[in-house]
Amino acid sequence: MLLGLFSSGAPGAERPAGEFSAPQRDYILACGGCHGLQGVSNANLVPSLQGLVGYFLNLPEGRAYLPRLPNIAFSTLDDEQLAAVLNYMVFDIGAGSAPAAARPYGAAEVGELRKQPLTEVTLTAYRRQLVETLVSRYRAPVALRGYGAATP
Amino acid sequence: MSKSRIDKFGERLTRRIAGYSSRRSFLARLGMALSATPVLPLLPVARAAAADAPKTDFERYAQTTDATQCNYWKYCASDGVLCSCCGGGSHSCPPGAEPSPISWIGTCVHPDSGHSYVIAYRDCCGKPVCSAGKSCWCDGGDRELPTYRSPLNNDIIWCFGNASASYHCSTAALLGSADASRK
Repeated sequence: MLLGLFSSGAPGAERPAGEFSAPQRDYILACGGCHGLQGVSNANLVPSLQGLVGYFLNLPEGRAYLPRLPNIAFSTLDDEQLAAVLNYMVFDIGAGSAPAAARPYGAAEVGELRKQPLTEVTLTAYRRQLVETLVSRYRAPVALRGYGAATP
Repeated sequence: MSKSRIDKFGERLTRRIAGYSSRRSFLARLGMALSATPVLPLLPVARAAAADAPKTDFERYAQTTDATQCNYWKYCASDGVLCSCCGGGSHSCPPGAEPSPISWIGTCVHPDSGHSYVIAYRDCCGKPVCSAGKSCWCDGGDRELPTYRSPLNNDIIWCFGNASASYHCSTAALLGSADASRK
């Protein structure tokens, strides 16, 4: 259907990149504009996720941190869809960064955590504190400090 | 006991209808209507229309041939001046302008197929605003949310991630199908 629709266009006609799984599509629609379609962001603005975001699951506060981020907690997705997006983000986009024993997020867990959004903290300072622990104790790459930029 | 006015009126009406209609003709017409109904939705046009009825005015008037018009299907949530009127394309920046590394992403329905597609609305930046005619200034807002839902808002100039934050024009890049696959 896709090819049929778009292959008849003029030279240089645009073709869609393809089909997405449901969590991948939801990630692209709600997160990908800033964090990048493959999780590589403009690191001056928002953190890169590719190969990095899973490190947060080394700490209980880090695991809770992701669903408590305001734009995740306030998402229009329901708990189950949101848990699926978080798992896609951590285990697919962040592949190789989560600890081997990390469990996937569950809908009930995400439902509880998103009721406690991180609205009463300075987010950048809160994140920096988590990242320092991850770098010093869990061998997270220093790139995590600078939102994924090469130099922290 | 005399008849009430309503009763008299009802009687007159019934007698008049009975005078010029027959039960048979009513049954015949009803029968025709019943047997014709299932046939109509089988016509291809009717089926195509029923598949996905347009949800928004934009979808009702969208077209797929002229990318320099605001009602081109991919611009369902494009808010700004079209790059295709400024020397660029529907999904490419004019020479000298660079695409914003960040964007907001939405979905538009392709009017021929009725399927939804994921569209990235990227601003082209680093040049003064393009001076195209009024017809190139669009204000699509399908599935856009208010500014306090900033990742899903298109009033934002997305050039803030660029070296130069000056806004030139808007593009709409097709990323893929919005109907999730089962992979």
